[in-house]
Amino acid sequence: MNEFVERQMKLTWRPPKKSYDVVIVGAGGHGLATAYYLATRHGMSNVAVFERGYIGGGNSGRNTTIIRANYGIPAAVRFYQRSVDLYRGLEEETDRWLMHQQKGILWMAHSEGAVRAERMRAKLNTEFGAQTEFVGPQQVKGLCPQLDMSGGGRWPVLGASYHPQGATARHDRVVWALAEGAMERGAHVHQNTPVDGLILDGERVAGVRTAAGDVAAGAVVSAVGGHVSRIAAMAGLRLPIRTHRLQAFVTNHYQRQFGPIVASSELFFYASQTARGEMLLGAEIDPQPSFSYRSSHDFVQDVCRRALRLLPFMSNLRVLRQWTGVCDMSPDYSPIMGHTGVPGFYITTGWGTWGFKAIPAGGEQMAELIATGEVPELIAPFGLDRFARDRTMADRGSAGTH
Amino acid sequence: MSLRIPCPTCGDRSVHEFVHGEIRRVPDHLTDPDERDLDFAFHHDNEEGVVTERWFHAQGCRRWFEIRRDTTTDRIVVAEAS
Amino acid sequence: MATFLVDGQRVETRAGDNLLVAMLRIGVHPTGGGCLCLGGDCPNCLVTVDGVAYTRSCQVPARDGMVVQRDHLGGEEPALLSDEPTSAGDAAPVQHVHCDTVVIGQGDSGREAAREARDGGLGVVTLNAREGQHVTGVYPGPLVVASDQAGCVLHVHPRREIVVATGAAELQPVVPGSDLEGLVTARAAAALVTAGIDLGRAVAVGERPAGPPPDSLVAHFPVGEGGWELVRFEGDGRIEAVVLRRHGDADAAEERIECDTAVVSLGRSPRNALARMASDLPVRVVGGAAREPELPPCPREGTVCPCSGVTVADLDGVWERGFHEMELIKRATLAGTGTCQGGVCLPYLRSFLLERGGRLQPAFTARPLNRQLTVRELAAGAHTAVTARSPLHDEHLSRGARMDRAGGWWRPWTYGRNDDEYRSVRERVSLGDVSSLGKMAISGPDAEAFLERIVPTKVATIRPGRCRYVLMLDERGYLLDDGMLCREADEDAGDRFFLTSTSGGSSFFELWLRDWAEAFDCDVRILNQTASLAAINVTGPQAARLLVRAGARELPAFGRHRHVRVAGVDCRIVRLSFTGELSYELHHPAADARTLWRRLLTAGAAFNVQPHGLETLLRLRLEKGHIVIGQDTDYDSTPRRLAHEWAVNLNKGDFVGRQAILRTNKRPLDKRLAALRAEDPPPRRTAEDPSAEGAAIHDGERYAGYVTSDAGTTAGGGRPMLGWLYLDAEGNLPREVTVDGRTARRVDGPTYDADGERARVTVEITSESPQSLREFPVARPEATDLAAEAPTGRPRLRRLEATRVSATSAALDALIEQPPWLAGALAFRTAPDELLVAASPDFEVDDDSHAIVERETAFSYVWLEDATAERFLDRECEWRRPDARPALAQGEVAGIPAKLWFEPGRTLILTPAPFADAFQRRLTGSLAETDGDAA
Repeated sequence: MNEFVERQMKLTWRPPKKSYDVVIVGAGGHGLATAYYLATRHGMSNVAVFERGYIGGGNSGRNTTIIRANYGIPAAVRFYQRSVDLYRGLEEETDRWLMHQQKGILWMAHSEGAVRAERMRAKLNTEFGAQTEFVGPQQVKGLCPQLDMSGGGRWPVLGASYHPQGATARHDRVVWALAEGAMERGAHVHQNTPVDGLILDGERVAGVRTAAGDVAAGAVVSAVGGHVSRIAAMAGLRLPIRTHRLQAFVTNHYQRQFGPIVASSELFFYASQTARGEMLLGAEIDPQPSFSYRSSHDFVQDVCRRALRLLPFMSNLRVLRQWTGVCDMSPDYSPIMGHTGVPGFYITTGWGTWGFKAIPAGGEQMAELIATGEVPELIAPFGLDRFARDRTMADRGSAGTH
Repeated sequence: MSLRIPCPTCGDRSVHEFVHGEIRRVPDHLTDPDERDLDFAFHHDNEEGVVTERWFHAQGCRRWFEIRRDTTTDRIVVAEAS
Repeated sequence: MATFLVDGQRVETRAGDNLLVAMLRIGVHPTGGGCLCLGGDCPNCLVTVDGVAYTRSCQVPARDGMVVQRDHLGGEEPALLSDEPTSAGDAAPVQHVHCDTVVIGQGDSGREAAREARDGGLGVVTLNAREGQHVTGVYPGPLVVASDQAGCVLHVHPRREIVVATGAAELQPVVPGSDLEGLVTARAAAALVTAGIDLGRAVAVGERPAGPPPDSLVAHFPVGEGGWELVRFEGDGRIEAVVLRRHGDADAAEERIECDTAVVSLGRSPRNALARMASDLPVRVVGGAAREPELPPCPREGTVCPCSGVTVADLDGVWERGFHEMELIKRATLAGTGTCQGGVCLPYLRSFLLERGGRLQPAFTARPLNRQLTVRELAAGAHTAVTARSPLHDEHLSRGARMDRAGGWWRPWTYGRNDDEYRSVRERVSLGDVSSLGKMAISGPDAEAFLERIVPTKVATIRPGRCRYVLMLDERGYLLDDGMLCREADEDAGDRFFLTSTSGGSSFFELWLRDWAEAFDCDVRILNQTASLAAINVTGPQAARLLVRAGARELPAFGRHRHVRVAGVDCRIVRLSFTGELSYELHHPAADARTLWRRLLTAGAAFNVQPHGLETLLRLRLEKGHIVIGQDTDYDSTPRRLAHEWAVNLNKGDFVGRQAILRTNKRPLDKRLAALRAEDPPPRRTAEDPSAEGAAIHDGERYAGYVTSDAGTTAGGGRPMLGWLYLDAEGNLPREVTVDGRTARRVDGPTYDADGERARVTVEITSESPQSLREFPVARPEATDLAAEAPTGRPRLRRLEATRVSATSAALDALIEQPPWLAGALAFRTAPDELLVAASPDFEVDDDSHAIVERETAFSYVWLEDATAERFLDRECEWRRPDARPALAQGEVAGIPAKLWFEPGRTLILTPAPFADAFQRRLTGSLAETDGDAA
């Protein structure tokens, strides 16, 4: 047995019913968190989550497990800080070991422009409740001794913003703990059951058509990732979403400790060490839209090249495995949560490359919306109607990042 | 290398040499100019399947051309100069 | 004979031994136990070799001087932890191989497939693991990446087909004691016997070992129906006995057979991971790799996944907890996530799930990497992004400038004298290098109509010789970029314009213009002159006097531009102002930039001219309230939010972003970019961060926005800033706010020279005293005679003196048919409507009156001999080069855009001059590395 073998959680599968109060499409982190918070915060457990594959098999199982709140606009800082806080309490709340570990994130600057951007990030974060400070090269080196501060002689580290609450957690366990928590309170999760259509009652969405038959629902929530446009089209909606691939890879175990999460927006990569000791690397999305889950060589090639500039110790580590997810990208790099304009149909999408870190807050807020019918203040700025209202949530702090 | 894009002037090159361009189509049922504009500005077909799209060969001839690509597999269907 | 170290112990071994065999010869099991396969399929022989952890010792030939550690997790820290750049950050060399067919695996089926393909006249590349060619993955492209014994990484690019002939792996035993020493597969046993290694008393379990059995085989037990069932191996560290019982009878008595070695042959599992990860690619699987997987009996006890240490009990545990999908079991146990990527455990997982769930589940997704290369090997062939250099780069360095990356260019951030740099602009005269601005020549019958649709200003009212500040919007009505639009003064030039963009936008500029030109179906010629033209901003109250002393006979008035010879260099002088002072922007051929820069400094010595860096420029413009794209703008910056409505004319025809502006203007305004002046003393900041950029702005208790620009300096008794201000509940923009607890007032005009008198000052061209006038010789370039040059031993890139033509495709066809330039000059058709010719720009294009013919110095070139070119390009050019001679090819080489001209015997490489320095470094580096190959 290795220490990572799951021996706490118990998943209980039940046959689908004909009708639920709430049907959630997509059993990834966001879908399951919505079910979990509906059950735990609002006592709503006549809820089903339909999943075309297995739970957490989409982007929830394909991300780089980073949790942070150092975003670039006030509404995002507040929202993600809520998520950081919920994550910090999630192990205790669920009584499950999620391998949550606070590590701190260093976001490095190699040019004066980037130094200014990181200084700005620190001030804005501090103003809205996230801890971020700008640190000079010496402190950077102290926090991450493995860094080549000269950047291979070409990308010198002039400083970094440091976000000490940056953390990681084991993505699968987060998904399972939320699934378990929802299931044990009566919610249903149905794997291998794709939703093929929506049942409309006039204007209203009144249920879903699934491989296991029609299911009526008081409310239907799309918590689908890269394939969300397909579900939205069933309700007659066109979305401001384009799907792009995001890739990542891990190396073999690195014997020493690599403390923080390290990111560089000029070299476009980030690195952290997993609980198993592997070095986990990610970078930006592929620029063209795609739904292909196939990994490409140029990705691992380019990211290795860039990472070696700052982390030459990785030179002799072997890359073990690469993978790909397909991300629902919004035009302003901010999520879309809330009403859709179609009665009975809610959406949580636009999770792009930052969905994992938002799982608890996203689920909590969507649950509150569904249970109370009121849009919670924290997510009010993130509604789908913001584009028509000329209130886009352009966030430079999240553009193309983890 | 990754996906190869067939440039009609230069030949097959890595996708890295190109910039992707979307051909946006506003649905006919939208008639109000503001609604059409909003759709044009923000909404996407985001189609899973074969799409016609534009690519600019930034590292080569620096010209746009059109190809058809299956977004589920990234397979290039046919290439034609625009 | 090879001598190497294992955990500090000297080991001598025979030539040809792999590391595993060499260690077994001295009785050392690399990992202390586990069934050895010698086929690279299991994790039981992993060691650390020369600091590289997780190395399969059965796949590495024993070489002299190797340092082996049996701790496969790794040895010493491989990199120095110093501030000095280390060579540890270098990537391994790459070798690109193009072929029709690649055959992976050179067993019987692989050799057969290769022979067939060759007989069919195809170009075949074979990859043979026995020769150290381990394939890490089959990728889109298609691309096959493999290690190579030569220390290179092979990138094989097959045009037609990938044949996977990787054979089959032998199933590993999953019973208690399978981690003991003394277990080998049948194939491993045969190989060890051949190598002369004594297996002692051996017991065979399963299929009888093929070929001559080891002399010492004492017993053989077939498994399965009618035979035996393997129960466990017994021993203390090393095997002492095999325990079996009759198949299908759980109550049958156990048989215990003592032995020194157990030879297991329990079935085969196809090595088809490469084929599975290549679905949708032209892949054919042959031989053992194509066979159906044999499912072993469901395991009862023991370790299923030796990489992650997952036991049958673990599988039972997670199954009971509701984890029933193959992928969930993998994630809940980590089975299959180690070095062998499921090679050992996958068959057992499938049989376990079949028995428990009654359903045969597909194998989990095959993902790269099949064989794990190191980070430095995988980085082979990649380059980090190259930052463009202005032609004045070295001039800045020689004046002590600290260069900084900004917008994809190296820019002088400061010359180390910020106060004097500032004063030289405000009080005397200064030079600023703005060569990185995007620059486009636009001509054609539809040029004006096209530009009307591109910019929100009325183009028709820009008269010849005039210029105007313009915005460029995207289709959302958000500000994309800004620049100057000049209409040519010369009526003969027809409808011809010159349009600039910011440095940061320059890489995007051309594709954006061409995209809209095609969308609008406009008949225009567009020539990208970003790298062709350098630009120097001469700014300060003495700017005109400096230019006159440098020989300028005429100077444009504010808002105008004209062609003027300055210091012997032909310039387009544009008179607008970003600094707030009298400013002349001198656009001139990049090849002449150094000359012009030095002569301007000479001519301005009497005024104590000093160049200024970007840091000073940002301060100067802030005092004028000018925005910087990217710093003061955001992705939602409409002209209204930026308070730039004055630059938008909604009463002209349609333009990009117009409907979006009309649409968003119907919505209430939420925020506006405002100029602020903070009270004196300014908000306190630390010495190292004097700027309030990013600081929140408050309107009483209300959050009212944040500061986007603050240079940390004062002007006119206050501190100028720019920032986003949110309107209050009544829809008003606050007048007085606080920043860092200090009062700041919103101001309506610039802090400095509010009326703009200094920038717009009327200049009388006064005659300078004759002795102050400097005579500078006129630069008279001669076109490079490319054809006459020959490759040299140490290739150096040089700037090309040539001509670029943008004209209709038909006009260029006609031009090439009867070239007006000197016979023999090389001409390259870089696009259907564009030509680069190594000749002087002293001709016209007869068939296109709108053609643009310009002197072109944007490229650097070098000739390489065939052998040198091949050596370089095999490493640094991943795409297939043309077979024909002569031929032009364009694409990325060494991570930099290049044009290649192939002639018999020699190859010409052209690359944009701003990247020439990087290209030279990569060329020299690559040739130095391959020097050994050539010798």
